[in-house]
Amino acid sequence: MIEVCRLSKVFTDKKRGMVRAVDEVSFEVRPGEIFGLLGPNGAGKTTTLRILATLLAPTSGTARVGGADIIREPEAVRRQIGFLSGDMGLYGRLTPRELLAFFGRLHRRDGAALADRIGQLVALLDMAEFADTRIDKLSTGMRQKTAIARTLVHDPGILILDEPTAGLDVPTARVIEEFIVRAKQSGKSILYSTHVMEEAEYLCDRIAVIHHGRIGRPGTIEELRAQTGKTRLREVFLCLLGADKSREPAR
Amino acid sequence: MNAGVIRAMYGKEMLEIFRDRRTLISMVLVPLLVMPLILLAMGKYMASARRQSEAEASKIGFREGALAPDLAARLKGSGLELAVVGDLRKAVEDKTAAATIEATTSPSGQRQIRIYTDRTRQASQLAGEKLRGLLTDFKDETVKASLRDSGLSEKLLTPFVIERVNVAAQRKMAGFLWGSVLGYVVLLLMFSGGMYPAIDMTAGEKERRTLEALLASPAGRGEIVVAKILAVLTAILVTAALTVISMAYAMKSGGFGSSSKEFQEMLGTIPLDAPTLGLLLATLLPLSIMAASLMIAIALFARSFKEGQSYLTPLMMLVVFPAVLGVLPGMELTPAMALIPIFNASQLMRGILQGEFSHTVLAVTIGANLVYALAAFIFATRLFRNESVLFRS
Repeated sequence: MIEVCRLSKVFTDKKRGMVRAVDEVSFEVRPGEIFGLLGPNGAGKTTTLRILATLLAPTSGTARVGGADIIREPEAVRRQIGFLSGDMGLYGRLTPRELLAFFGRLHRRDGAALADRIGQLVALLDMAEFADTRIDKLSTGMRQKTAIARTLVHDPGILILDEPTAGLDVPTARVIEEFIVRAKQSGKSILYSTHVMEEAEYLCDRIAVIHHGRIGRPGTIEELRAQTGKTRLREVFLCLLGADKSREPAR
Repeated sequence: MNAGVIRAMYGKEMLEIFRDRRTLISMVLVPLLVMPLILLAMGKYMASARRQSEAEASKIGFREGALAPDLAARLKGSGLELAVVGDLRKAVEDKTAAATIEATTSPSGQRQIRIYTDRTRQASQLAGEKLRGLLTDFKDETVKASLRDSGLSEKLLTPFVIERVNVAAQRKMAGFLWGSVLGYVVLLLMFSGGMYPAIDMTAGEKERRTLEALLASPAGRGEIVVAKILAVLTAILVTAALTVISMAYAMKSGGFGSSSKEFQEMLGTIPLDAPTLGLLLATLLPLSIMAASLMIAIALFARSFKEGQSYLTPLMMLVVFPAVLGVLPGMELTPAMALIPIFNASQLMRGILQGEFSHTVLAVTIGANLVYALAAFIFATRLFRNESVLFRS
């Protein structure tokens, strides 16, 4: 469960001055749900997700992730989340097995329990063939599997996924999608950011559009279609962005 | 702080260090191979250059008929090659002779001998010195002969004899030599050995986009930075140890033209016992912690490996200066001077090796460096909690 309450983040940029990257954003992600944060580049998706993963501190507002407050209990938050971004964040000089052991230990898992978990993930994601090869020698698909295994090594109840398919080819992106669907079926709360409407439609139970740091009302894809009166996804998206713009005070 | 988490982080950093060619080169290859090879090659080159200069130095030029027969015979008898040249100055300048000599008699009847040399050329200087030595002997003999002829004692010429005695004990000499090596080469290589790992595990993590995933893990910022500093510290100490070992080997095998028996005996006078080694380590450790923390902190500002390099290179320059100052012979370590980082360690290590240092200076040096180390450590930890440094773009 993720509950976000009026979260704001203001940066001071040398060129642009004060920038409201996230502006009074509220939403919630329930167990067994995939919640899509849909928006163009620079809309505030990554900043929101980084705040929820306790990488950045909010300027105002707060959020509870798995019952823990992101400001007061950041380590309790980090223990419960699996965080994955398009960058994957893999150490190229380590092998997948070493990487999983490393992240497992950071999650205070050790010994036989950790070895079992790693064995399980290697089997589940079909990684046995390359589990002991240095990651910088692996193909993109193999790396993606490794990144997924890393996200799951501590069996988190909450997944925060920041454009995890960015820059991937279709078969590789498919691996990610399958993993997300499986995670949903096992009851995890999943927050998913993307700028691809089709991806959001296929994966997400509910979608909220974010633009210039502001979030629109979340709804299922049908609800969003009804709200905008458009059928083509792209039109729905553009319409929601436009609607957001009309509400926005002149900058 | 959780020891298990720090251990896991440290293990990962060491694994990365040992699988990276760049860090391995600066940490292992440079101290173990490159430095001794440079020293050996320099020793060989200097020896051969000296031999060549000596050979060249025997060519002496003079003007036709301008050298008295007694003088010419004397010079020839001592193995010099005499050659007739046209212009005395030009012959030295265009290297047809190492030095030229001219003998004249002044109107008052005073015999004058003029030697032309080029002070910027080793061969020419050597030739000049040889000529001076020969002429001084020749002068003495002439005086002695005159004294004998006039029935006086030869002793009139030497009312007293001068003898110089070096009171520096062999250990002091050896300590001076080794202290210079430790105080300069080791300090410098320590910084360069820690530099690549420090950049790699900060700016490198940013550049390879692994930092975000690491920070989203339950590892605390404090645990991450402690483990990273420990890993750089390890790299620094490994570099220092390898440098000492390879330098010792280079000296033993005649690296500085040092193959003579006396030299080897002198080197052996430094006791490599537990107290000496312990004191050296106690001097190096606070400095290494400071270096590791400072390099981690500075490199963390950088967004890429390249940027990190350009931030840390000026730091290396800052290290060179006090280290050079520290090995200059005239410098003495006073308690006030012991507050200057790097310089203090450079001087103190020499004192320890020579077996002569004050306990005040030892305490001030170690204390001051510990304070600097702590300040650098706190600085690095603070930076690791600063999101605008971590996510600079």
